Amino acid sequence: MADMLTRLIPLFPLLACLITAVAGAKWLKEKSHWPVVIGCGLSSLCSLALLFSIPNTPGEQVQPVVLYQWMQIVEPKIENGPVYAPGAEGVSPGLDLKISLRADSLSTTMLAMLTFVATLVAVYASGYMHGDRAYWRFFSIVGLFVFSMIMLVLSANFLQLFVFWEAVGLCSYLLIGFWYEKPEAAAAGMKAFVVNRIGDFGFATGVFLIWTTFGSTEFSAVLGDSAAIAKLASTNPYLLTTICLCLFTGAIGKSAQFPLHVWLPDAMEGPTPVSALIHAATMVTAGVYLVARCTPLFQLAPDAQVFVALIGGITALLAALIALTQNDLKRVLAYSTVSQLGFMFLGLGTGSLVGIGGAMFHLVTHAFFKALLFLGAGSVMHAMGGVIDMREFRGLKRLMPQTHTTFLIGALALAGIPPLSGFWSKDTILGAVYEQAHAHHEPAVAGAAPTATDEHADESHATTSAPPDKTMFGVSRVKLFGWLYWLGTLTAFLTAFYTFRAFFLTFYGGPEKVPHAAGHHAHESPPSMCNPLWILSGGAALLGLLLGHMTGIFDGYLSGTIDGLKEASHEHGINWLVAAVSSVVAAIGVGLAWVMYKEPSAIPGRLAALAGPFTRLSEHRFYLDEVYSVFVVKPLQGLAHFSRFFDWLFVDGLFVTGVSKLPAVLGRLPRPIQNGLVQFYALAMMLATAVLMWALLSKQT
Amino acid sequence: MTFSELLTKLTADTQGSLLPFAPELCIVGTILLLLFVRLLDLDRWLPPALVAIAGAVVALGLSARQFSEFSGTDAHVQTMFTGLLVYDPFTVFFRIFLLLFLLFVIYLTIVTGIPDAEDSPDFYTLLLGSTLGMLLMVSANNLLMVFLAIEMTSLPSYAMAGFLKGRKTSSEAALKYVVYGAGTAGVMLFGISLLAGLLGTTHFPQMGPALMELARQEHFTMASPEFRTLAIGILMVLVGVAFKLSLFPFHFWCPDVFEGAAAEVGGFLSVASKGAAFALLIRFLLALVGGSAAPGGGPHSLYLQIGIALSLIAVVTTTFGNLAAYFQTNIKRLLAYSTIAHAGYMLMAVGSMMVVLNSPVGEMFAGETRSETAAGCVQGLLYYLVVYFFMNLGVFAIVAFVRNATFGKNNTGEELSDYAGLVGQSPVLAICLLICVFSLIGLPPFGGFFGKFMVFYSVLASTQAHWVMWIVLVAGLFNTVFSLFYYLRVLKCAFIDSRPAEARVVDVDMGSDAGRYALLVTVPVVLLGVAVEPISRVAREVAGWLLNT
Repeated sequence: MADMLTRLIPLFPLLACLITAVAGAKWLKEKSHWPVVIGCGLSSLCSLALLFSIPNTPGEQVQPVVLYQWMQIVEPKIENGPVYAPGAEGVSPGLDLKISLRADSLSTTMLAMLTFVATLVAVYASGYMHGDRAYWRFFSIVGLFVFSMIMLVLSANFLQLFVFWEAVGLCSYLLIGFWYEKPEAAAAGMKAFVVNRIGDFGFATGVFLIWTTFGSTEFSAVLGDSAAIAKLASTNPYLLTTICLCLFTGAIGKSAQFPLHVWLPDAMEGPTPVSALIHAATMVTAGVYLVARCTPLFQLAPDAQVFVALIGGITALLAALIALTQNDLKRVLAYSTVSQLGFMFLGLGTGSLVGIGGAMFHLVTHAFFKALLFLGAGSVMHAMGGVIDMREFRGLKRLMPQTHTTFLIGALALAGIPPLSGFWSKDTILGAVYEQAHAHHEPAVAGAAPTATDEHADESHATTSAPPDKTMFGVSRVKLFGWLYWLGTLTAFLTAFYTFRAFFLTFYGGPEKVPHAAGHHAHESPPSMCNPLWILSGGAALLGLLLGHMTGIFDGYLSGTIDGLKEASHEHGINWLVAAVSSVVAAIGVGLAWVMYKEPSAIPGRLAALAGPFTRLSEHRFYLDEVYSVFVVKPLQGLAHFSRFFDWLFVDGLFVTGVSKLPAVLGRLPRPIQNGLVQFYALAMMLATAVLMWALLSKQT
Repeated sequence: MTFSELLTKLTADTQGSLLPFAPELCIVGTILLLLFVRLLDLDRWLPPALVAIAGAVVALGLSARQFSEFSGTDAHVQTMFTGLLVYDPFTVFFRIFLLLFLLFVIYLTIVTGIPDAEDSPDFYTLLLGSTLGMLLMVSANNLLMVFLAIEMTSLPSYAMAGFLKGRKTSSEAALKYVVYGAGTAGVMLFGISLLAGLLGTTHFPQMGPALMELARQEHFTMASPEFRTLAIGILMVLVGVAFKLSLFPFHFWCPDVFEGAAAEVGGFLSVASKGAAFALLIRFLLALVGGSAAPGGGPHSLYLQIGIALSLIAVVTTTFGNLAAYFQTNIKRLLAYSTIAHAGYMLMAVGSMMVVLNSPVGEMFAGETRSETAAGCVQGLLYYLVVYFFMNLGVFAIVAFVRNATFGKNNTGEELSDYAGLVGQSPVLAICLLICVFSLIGLPPFGGFFGKFMVFYSVLASTQAHWVMWIVLVAGLFNTVFSLFYYLRVLKCAFIDSRPAEARVVDVDMGSDAGRYALLVTVPVVLLGVAVEPISRVAREVAGWLLNT
């Protein structure tokens, strides 16, 4: 049953993609969304069914469904193959790659969220993209994206994961540059692609390292073998840390973390449903999924974990600061996405099971409320005739009541106001950070992997768990997490503030104003767009309450993959102090936004002037794009020009053209011999025979 | 042994030989039938082309049946007619090769209509006669038979080269061919008589042991007259084969003959005659080496020299062909040089085989035994020949079609300029031309790439045996680059240049016989590149049988 479902889930979107690609332009035309909507819907139903049909018992190895053998190279044996794997002496498994689907609780959770949001976004897009010239192309690529993302989540080995990691990157590129006739869109697509290459390079290196170290890329052989990881951590901790950092580099690129976050805000050039689906809810969370999936590795590499936490914290704050001054509604949301992804990495970086569970939970709730906010922004944009600059419109509450209400729910969830979903997940992460900051005993590094039952694993606990007072970058770990906690709380405040700034600027802020582009028929969006908003806002409002700490359902389910999560979260419970602080801080943020932006006032202007240099820093996104331009883009352009010159002069000029001249020159040589005189031919034949005889005989004497 | 006993033995031997000899007998019968058709003026009711096709089909069917009998069994070598001919998988492989090619050529002549109704019985008689000679070449087991077979192949070829009676160049070509052929035949016969006199036998299986016996004698040194006579004899026989293969410097006839003769004849000579000559060359060289083990002493150093000499001649031939083709404007002349170059590539495999078999360096080559490596060389040659069959015939067929379409009063229809803008006129011909030419260059994924790959691989294997083979390998690779330029010139003409307004129209589309024929020949070129395994496995088995591995 579960196997059957697992096969069907990626099949439907793939079929939808193919059908739309083949029949879209000629036959389906404005009905092109149907295959994708139906495909995603069926896939979503199967995913929900799969949630309940996998044998979700902790510690049990999941048997992947093998689709086919990709390659199998057993020989020639690599002499010093899996150096650190147990029983490595003389055994080398070579390269054994299968395309297989692995459904465990982590991947099914992702799947359920992914396919559900994808279905809603597809329905929404059928309204939003209506009348577009390349309607069928849009849906075909969306189908391909959903298929690739499903395959990514279901991968049972690192290489397949990497392949579909690239595939979703390709879809992202195609969709960002969907309106390629717009130069900004084309440039943004290219930027996303190029920046992601940097991260992918790190990821690929990490996969290679895993293969040479463990002799396999299968999750079961790498992540499931706690003894091998423990042995590696005790014999060569630097290698393990390097592997983790390489994998995390991939996550930095895909999940738009500092310093590679610059592509995501530009990616907003793509159609808004794409921003909601790919650049908020699903693809950008692939990095979080990767790190969560590799928990067994990260657990024994505490240095790498602290690095993850630091990057996450810095990104969260930085993006929140930039979001304060953006005037483009979608860009505010984009920076907010970057910031929230930073939160997730902060949770992953704590190294405690509660933090990891919190990060995954935040991933799911964030998918709902951020998709909701983006779709709401899209609804506004649709009504405003494609204008998304918040200075161009205001007071839209009366005009778009449905969008207003759903957007409000989403904004409250994002701000972390209880009891909406964002509150619960964000609070779990902050609680985990707080706990690390006040840890006087060993941090809760529970079962490093699902099968941590043998002696090796017990040893690993004793030898490799980080002592609480270990110093990193000259600061003790406890102190570091203390700072990160306050940094996170500050970010929570900023999040509430900028979210409601955007909300008030759009729906309130004085009398109704509509840009020229909207014409006279600015109106609420059609039901195909509003209904998904309502469904998503239901999720954004209730998910935290239903699945979060109050019931423990989410943690309980996820403990099938992250062993011990249920017990850990049960033991720790809710840190009411942290919850209270973050709620109060969020409320202050909302209140401040109310005061400043509910009605047009002079306060924001005066404040901005007061904080002059900081405002400019935020407005210019900390000048990071400029820094990259000077230190990376310009030198690379110089190199490119030089390469082109080199190619022109040496490769093309001297080598290729040179060789092509050679036959012309040498070709003249045989011409006189072929003179057409048969007497000469006979003579030449005899002479040649004589010469050959002479050559043969003179050699022998 | 009394006379009656001898007679009984002879009768038994002849009767036993008839069955393996059935395909040849069938061709002989067809030739007789064609002559009767001519004599009794029946050719209006019984088209000679159909008679020829029927004969070829029956012979091909018999050969295919013979081949299927071989598969699955161990090497089953049988001699025919008191040892004059040999019947083994190698023979039958080439029988199929030649008869299938004969079929394709007859079909081509039907499509192009080159022998007119009046002349067609004569033409097909000559064509079948030449093929019969080739069939004998590939099964020759005796020096005498070698000479007879080569002459039997050559004489009809001379006549076919001059078959376009009205054209001056055609007659001139035939005359040059005859003179040159007669010269080399003389040299070869001289060589055969020297060898026969020295060894006391002309029978291939006895030559190897006789040579070893000779080498064991005390006064047999490098400087002894016997040794010199031996070397000269072998060399002279090789000259005869080199003429058939148009190897430099025995290639002079080739461009003139190809330019003068009809494209159909050119295609026939370039593939069938070369294939048969390569089979003969391999048989002769293997007869010299014999079954003698332990190389290093005696005549083996001479054989190694011959192997290296063949490889170097291959390099010079290929380079010469590729360079000389560069300035040609006549497509048939260009293709003549192209066939010279390809003979060079194929000869590299033969040279490698000879070097591998006679090298004093160990018995193992990269994990394979000596004879396995040699079988690899033969395999490469056979695969190359099979691909060459289709790609070269394809090009010559297209030349014939374009000639038929553009032939005019002041225009032979065989200049490169006649191909300008072909793609706009007849896309199917242009695409087929593109595929065949790409395959001739050796670009993947077409068959030519894998043929070349296997040949170069065998050269690479032989570099272990002698360092000179590195030069051969590098020269072969460079030649592939050189050949690009003139082949691409043809394609540039067909695809990029625009057709002059006054040029005649080539209206060959997919539905026409010519278009179908071009496709029929081109599809195998692609298939041989896509599915290498089936034919290469057959080639490997045949080579393995030949070399007893």
